[in-house]
Amino acid sequence: MGVTEQVAQAVAHAPMIALLGNPNCGKTALFNRLTGSRQKVANYAGVTIERKEGHFASPQGHPYRVLDLPGAYSLSAHTPDEAITRDVVGGLRANDGSPDVIVCVVDATNLRLNLRLVLEIQRLGLPMILCLNMVDVAKKRGIEIDTAKLARELHMTVVETVAVQSGGEKGLLRALDEMWPVVPVKPQPLAAIDAVSVEDTQREVRRILAAVTKNYHNTDELSEKIDNVVLHPVAGPVILAVLMFLIFQAVFTWAAVPMDMISAGVEGIGQLLSTHMAEGVLRSLLVEGIIGGVGSVLVFLPQILILFFFILILEDCGYLPRAAFLLDRLMGGVGLSGRAFIPLLSSFACAIPGVMAARTIQNPRDRLVTIMIAPLMTCSARLPVYALVIAAFIPEREVWGVSLQGLILFALYFAGIFSAMGVAWFMKRSTGSKAKQALMMELPSYHWPNLRNLAIGLWERAKIFLMRVGTVILTLMVLLWALSSFPGAPAGATHPPIYYSIAGMLGRALEVVFAPIGFGWEICIALVPGMAAREVAVGALGTVYALSQTGDELATSLTPVLASSWSLATALSLLAWYVFAPQCLSTLSVVRRETGDVKYAFMMAGYMFALAYAASFITYHVARTLGA
Amino acid sequence: MTLAPSLINLDALAAGKSGTVVHVAPASGEGADSADLARRLMELGFVPGEKIRMLKRGMPGGEPLAIKVGNATFALRRYEAALVSVQPE
Repeated sequence: MGVTEQVAQAVAHAPMIALLGNPNCGKTALFNRLTGSRQKVANYAGVTIERKEGHFASPQGHPYRVLDLPGAYSLSAHTPDEAITRDVVGGLRANDGSPDVIVCVVDATNLRLNLRLVLEIQRLGLPMILCLNMVDVAKKRGIEIDTAKLARELHMTVVETVAVQSGGEKGLLRALDEMWPVVPVKPQPLAAIDAVSVEDTQREVRRILAAVTKNYHNTDELSEKIDNVVLHPVAGPVILAVLMFLIFQAVFTWAAVPMDMISAGVEGIGQLLSTHMAEGVLRSLLVEGIIGGVGSVLVFLPQILILFFFILILEDCGYLPRAAFLLDRLMGGVGLSGRAFIPLLSSFACAIPGVMAARTIQNPRDRLVTIMIAPLMTCSARLPVYALVIAAFIPEREVWGVSLQGLILFALYFAGIFSAMGVAWFMKRSTGSKAKQALMMELPSYHWPNLRNLAIGLWERAKIFLMRVGTVILTLMVLLWALSSFPGAPAGATHPPIYYSIAGMLGRALEVVFAPIGFGWEICIALVPGMAAREVAVGALGTVYALSQTGDELATSLTPVLASSWSLATALSLLAWYVFAPQCLSTLSVVRRETGDVKYAFMMAGYMFALAYAASFITYHVARTLGA
Repeated sequence: MTLAPSLINLDALAAGKSGTVVHVAPASGEGADSADLARRLMELGFVPGEKIRMLKRGMPGGEPLAIKVGNATFALRRYEAALVSVQPE
């Protein structure tokens, strides 16, 4: 048996620790501290809530598995996240088995809120360790907690941890070693939790706090001072707007260099293969289908990572809920809550994490509307199409001191945002219910972002994106290559070979539908893979116009071809189409999983198709009337 | 004998003012949603006897509200806050 198998066997039989706590208690930081890179992210069976599991060994060498459960305020679940937490600790999720040990993480500066959950979970009767996290912050504020006394009061092991500090997890590891070997216990039924009222639980919390803490009421003055500025009715929105502007600037300017490097690298590999392989079907598949196709998508990795770099930092330091607070009124105008801001912001990188982030919204209808409008945010996959068409048709000149091309791009982004607001308003109205939506969102204390957590978070995003490139997009590109390569052109052909291929026939059939909005068969061919993954449309256009380059080189040589073969009206119509373009297949499948109903995926594709067609129709005919 | 200031709903508390939670109750005539909301407010710490303070009120319309309860701060909308009765200081 090899070392790897030995490790795998040890891991499979290791006791399972469930890491549990309120949102913002530092639980995930502790999870990262314990497991480092030995963690895997998957989804819970039946729902797309992230299931993070990792493994580690204690100093004495005992192996453990650890499950990072979604944050919860109470086991009387109000969100899908909390329902998962409740079901796992209650042993109701058959696939997960009930945990052997519960490690409950609490924010030492916020025991009044956190201890209630601890008392609730204690009623399940499972072996438990309490991690008094952020003890460093508590000490700095002069809050004294008698850990030994707290352990006596709660009848459980209590350890102090500082999850954001190297070695800050040592206390927990020692406690785990003392507990070894772990004897499995069957949890009490969940009904045991509801046996005591919230008021009685709170009375118990107050009694314990009075007995074990000193200066407990010292509050976080710094956070209040920052909030006085950040939540100020005038300064707050200005800070938010400046921040958003800087983020988008960074996404486009910082990403330029790594994007160039990726496309140059991809091109290099393509050329290397072209020169060393004999011409034929295999070379065509490798160079044009796989390398060209995947390369045109891979190039967005820097932009996605830069956007997530900012989102993760703002999230970690505690700003994002403040942004949601500031925008709550505005979003309330169309019937959404400020909470929808975070999923919608993520959707600018890609709608998939956006749709998944919507699960922090408690109200099911709110959540559904947020999911349905998330793909209207201009995701980075639309950029190559925008960039290509703008470069080909919009002159490089300045209007009121700003670049006209930039202005058009900005307008396209805003068209997406405004239409999303319109759709949200319409959906809220048409669903009829006047029930008021709750906000109920914690504004956690500010703290410095943790670089280790940031790095792990970015790595996860990169992995998810690369998986998508390696599976969905790779498959599509190969399929597209095959459809547009076979059957070959007949003898004496007057059109490019693709005209006679399966893709060409499909394009010509679709032309009947799309001619009224100004799309010829060439565009129709590109639309098909573009529906599966928008960014592929550029590569597809290159294939249609028989250009075999990849990346930047393709864009520069495609620009004059498009400028001479399309009318301006067609170009504008295509831009309008891509503001709404029916969602990519990966997003639709995520929507189905998140909502648990395929109906919503079809609804989304349907309404976006209708909007795209209508917008293009209007754009095309207005442009034609004006002489474009 | 001094008259204690009368109870008000939390959504009426001015920014910067403190008070003590007296009771949390679902809005009369509202359904299970409202009862659920009242329970969740208690789970977040809006329990009778707890000290609270109105930190900030959003603009325009004085909504949402940032309210400190214990050492935690929560953002609520007015109608949620209206379920909480407080004794202002």
